[in-house]
Amino acid sequence: MVFNTFAYFFVFLIPAALLFRLVRSELRPWVCAVSGVAFFVYFSVTAQAGWVGAACVILFVWESLVSRLYRTWSGWCLLGVGVSLGVLAGFKYWNFVTHWLTAPLGTNPLVWPGAFLPLGVSFFTFEFMHYAIDRYRGRAERGRLGEYLAFIFFFPTMVAGPIKRFQEFVPCLRAPSTAWAADWNRGTTRILVGLVKKFAVADVLTNLTVHLNRADIARADRWALLLWLFAYGWKIYFDFSAYSDIAIGSGRLFGIAIPENFDWPYFRRNVAEFWRHWHISLYRWLVDYVFIPLGGSRGAVPAVCGNIMLVMLLSGIWHGAGLNFVLWGAWHGTLLVMHRLWSLGWSGRALQRADRAAAILVRHAASPRAAPPVPFLARVGPERVTSRRAGAPYRDTPAFLRREPLALSRVERSRTGPADRSGDSAFCPRWLGRGTAWLLTYVAVNLGWAFFAMNTETALFFFRRLFLG
Amino acid sequence: MGLLSWLKHAADYLGGSRAGPPPGLPLPLASPAWGLWWGLLAALIALFCGQSSKFIYIDF
Repeated sequence: MVFNTFAYFFVFLIPAALLFRLVRSELRPWVCAVSGVAFFVYFSVTAQAGWVGAACVILFVWESLVSRLYRTWSGWCLLGVGVSLGVLAGFKYWNFVTHWLTAPLGTNPLVWPGAFLPLGVSFFTFEFMHYAIDRYRGRAERGRLGEYLAFIFFFPTMVAGPIKRFQEFVPCLRAPSTAWAADWNRGTTRILVGLVKKFAVADVLTNLTVHLNRADIARADRWALLLWLFAYGWKIYFDFSAYSDIAIGSGRLFGIAIPENFDWPYFRRNVAEFWRHWHISLYRWLVDYVFIPLGGSRGAVPAVCGNIMLVMLLSGIWHGAGLNFVLWGAWHGTLLVMHRLWSLGWSGRALQRADRAAAILVRHAASPRAAPPVPFLARVGPERVTSRRAGAPYRDTPAFLRREPLALSRVERSRTGPADRSGDSAFCPRWLGRGTAWLLTYVAVNLGWAFFAMNTETALFFFRRLFLG
Repeated sequence: MGLLSWLKHAADYLGGSRAGPPPGLPLPLASPAWGLWWGLLAALIALFCGQSSKFIYIDF
């Protein structure tokens, strides 16, 4: 739908990109705006919610008008954020929220039976909010009306991102790349590769994974379930990265750079790295407009962990109006919090305490008058090292449990300098540590997809079958 | 550049997300070999298209 139709390429993309390149510079924003309006109306009518959905173009008209009033510290910006949130909440979460609120009644008198989603509502509302917040903070210029219309109506990214930033888009709009040949080579290649990802991989995997239901789960053995989950994870990746490839390649035909959305996320060695390379534009948005305003990484560890969890819960609910998506966000939040604590050395200290406790127990069990206990892990580790944080020694933690690939994120690595590459642990060579970290991350991320693929009840049944047989 | 980095760079270049090839890959942007690559991709598209399906992230 949309990007895998002839209409997209031959009615919208190629004519609009050619026209954009050929007209005078002051007309370029209007080419984006007019083609975007036509795109929104056409695909709303033919593929989404009919003429009622097409009428939602009025949301863009409202946004373009009110955005002209945005100033630094202006209440209009707050109004813009509020309206965008209201649009998103009204269309996407109304039935979900009222269902929960009226659950004790047994029926939902507030249900909206004809509920529909405007095309790309989850994405364009986030772009609206970004502009309002950045104008409020004085971090974005006002831009001309045509430029803002081009920004919100730029159709390659309108439906499913990547979520753009006005500050990055406008310079490209004002001075698009003039290297026609290179742009069309790269853009065409990107689009074709995206279509291959979609048709030859994602759709094939869809056919293989779509049939999993409660009866199938009950019949399948656990290895089949695990294989299914991995296949589903690759399907999600290929499907969405295909969409992003086509969007970015389409932008390239205009000569406009669009932010990347994926960078080999399944080959990362911890979940924080995964999230820096999966749906990058959403992750950036959540970090800049939720995580950092909440306090970010500053403050006490519990507060930071709470911020992380809140961001991931929001990410989950953004992905869909359902308890399963909330649980998906909670799962990733838990993984990120665990990674955070590990990075801060909490895992080492917890391990140390557990080790000492075990040593005391065993010693007392063996002989109450024996010498003071020596933790076991202190005996097996040939070396004693200090933590990356000054003054927080991992006194008794064996080398393989504090190796750099498991714990250090890229940011921390840049802060602390190159990792120590002297000699592998006696227990674990470097490649094995990295491989283990990758495998743990890959499995953990893929376990979460069960919540993405199934409703909560089926997902819990899936896990029961997977782990308990 | 390690082997894995080289392979990643090459895959990104063939996928259209990098501007230039990795060292040792004799495939400049102006090469007619891109026609073959596009032909292969188009053949795969023609072979597999029509199975379904909408993109997951639209109107989810």
